[in-house]
Amino acid sequence: MGRLLDSLKRGFRSFDKGMREDATSLIRKQLDEEESVFALLTMGAFSGLPSPPTGVLLRILPHMSREISVMNKRSAGLDDVFSQTLGTFDID
Amino acid sequence: MKTYFFLGKGGVGKTTASAAWSVGLARSGMKTLVASIDPAHNLGDAFAADLGDRITHVADNLDAVEVNIDDMIRAYLDELSVKMKHTYSYMSAMNIDGYFDILKDSPGIEEYATMEAIKKFVALAQYDAVVFDTPPTGMTIRVLAMPRVSLLWTEQLVKMRKRILATRGMVENVQGRLEAQVDGETVVLSSDEKEDPIMQELVAYREELKTLKDMFSSDQSYVSIVTMAEDLALLETKRIIESLGKFRIRVHAIYLNKFFAMANPPDEIKGKMEEQERVVARMKAEIPGIAVKDIPLLRNSPRGIEALFTVYSKYLV
Ligand SMILES: Nc1ncnc2c1ncn2[C@@H]1O[C@H](COP(=O)(O)OP(=O)(O)O)[C@@H](O)[C@H]1O
Ligand SMILES: [Mg+2]
Repeated sequence: MGRLLDSLKRGFRSFDKGMREDATSLIRKQLDEEESVFALLTMGAFSGLPSPPTGVLLRILPHMSREISVMNKRSAGLDDVFSQTLGTFDID
Repeated sequence: MKTYFFLGKGGVGKTTASAAWSVGLARSGMKTLVASIDPAHNLGDAFAADLGDRITHVADNLDAVEVNIDDMIRAYLDELSVKMKHTYSYMSAMNIDGYFDILKDSPGIEEYATMEAIKKFVALAQYDAVVFDTPPTGMTIRVLAMPRVSLLWTEQLVKMRKRILATRGMVENVQGRLEAQVDGETVVLSSDEKEDPIMQELVAYREELKTLKDMFSSDQSYVSIVTMAEDLALLETKRIIESLGKFRIRVHAIYLNKFFAMANPPDEIKGKMEEQERVVARMKAEIPGIAVKDIPLLRNSPRGIEALFTVYSKYLV
């Protein structure tokens, strides 16, 4: 009896997790995009995009290795990231 | 801490004015450093002393230094590239060298290094005043503008970073800690601002920039223009004042150097002297609220502490 309840619980839990993962896959995608935009923008000096003053870049550069690698992986889908970058970046 | 900047084209007398000013401050009892951040150094000539990258004592209360900006850039980038190669062994050395080759020549790096040099000197608590012998006008304006411009970008990046961390937090709530594979290594991606090194760096830098920006705009920072009494100087001077105004930097005084004074001028230079008078009159009328002073063309180039003090006491104050 206890075992059945346990396995039911487990079942529900994984079902619930599955549902939530479906919802978060959207958020994950959003996260990927946000991180790519950040990488592209801060590494803009290498891609011809408007880029922050060199000082800003130099300060965060030691922590950017992951960003650099994200950007390198992404350079295939550069086109949409370009348009996103422009949309995201508005100096007020 | 008070700071002084003398702006002008090459050859107008920036070095002479800043050296003379520093001697004057030192004699008034202020512990003073005069620092040349102009790659074309000639501060040593003005003091008739051998100056270099090390701070040198030149008179009572007065030290001097000539910063090698190029060396500073090279040293900084070398250090950074070594650090990165060390920390990120999985990134190929060639890749990193490639990035640094671009960085070395990236626009704005000289301005950045110059700003860092200024930051370093104003942080020296043993001085009451730092006088900067600056590079030519355009460069100096860009350096003075740099904290404000960089701050705009930094604030924007902080906002973006915040958004990323918030989104990471949402993913984390469901899936637990986020990890990523970077060239074969597992990296934990925190959603906590305090654990995100990029956020920490951005926030620290933002504070430094704010401090510098506020300092440049404060009444403890004196920016003066050194120029000559020529028609062209009038427009140029107005333009400098306007550009600096955009960055909330006020001009304190205008010095018209190498001013030609003569009791009975021969005809050949009468025109030149009329031009001088005209420029002085128009500067005073068209640039209200800023002192205009002339420094005569001296028989000898002022060199050494005494000659510089004479320039200070007779013409600068
Ligand atoms: N009022 C002056 N009378 C005579 N010589 C001057 C005067 N002001 C500057 N000089 C000389 O003119 C040259 C250029 O001046 P300097 O201060 O080195 O200009 P900058 O640093 O703007 O290039 C130097 O040899 C300097 O000694
Ligand atoms: Mg000079």
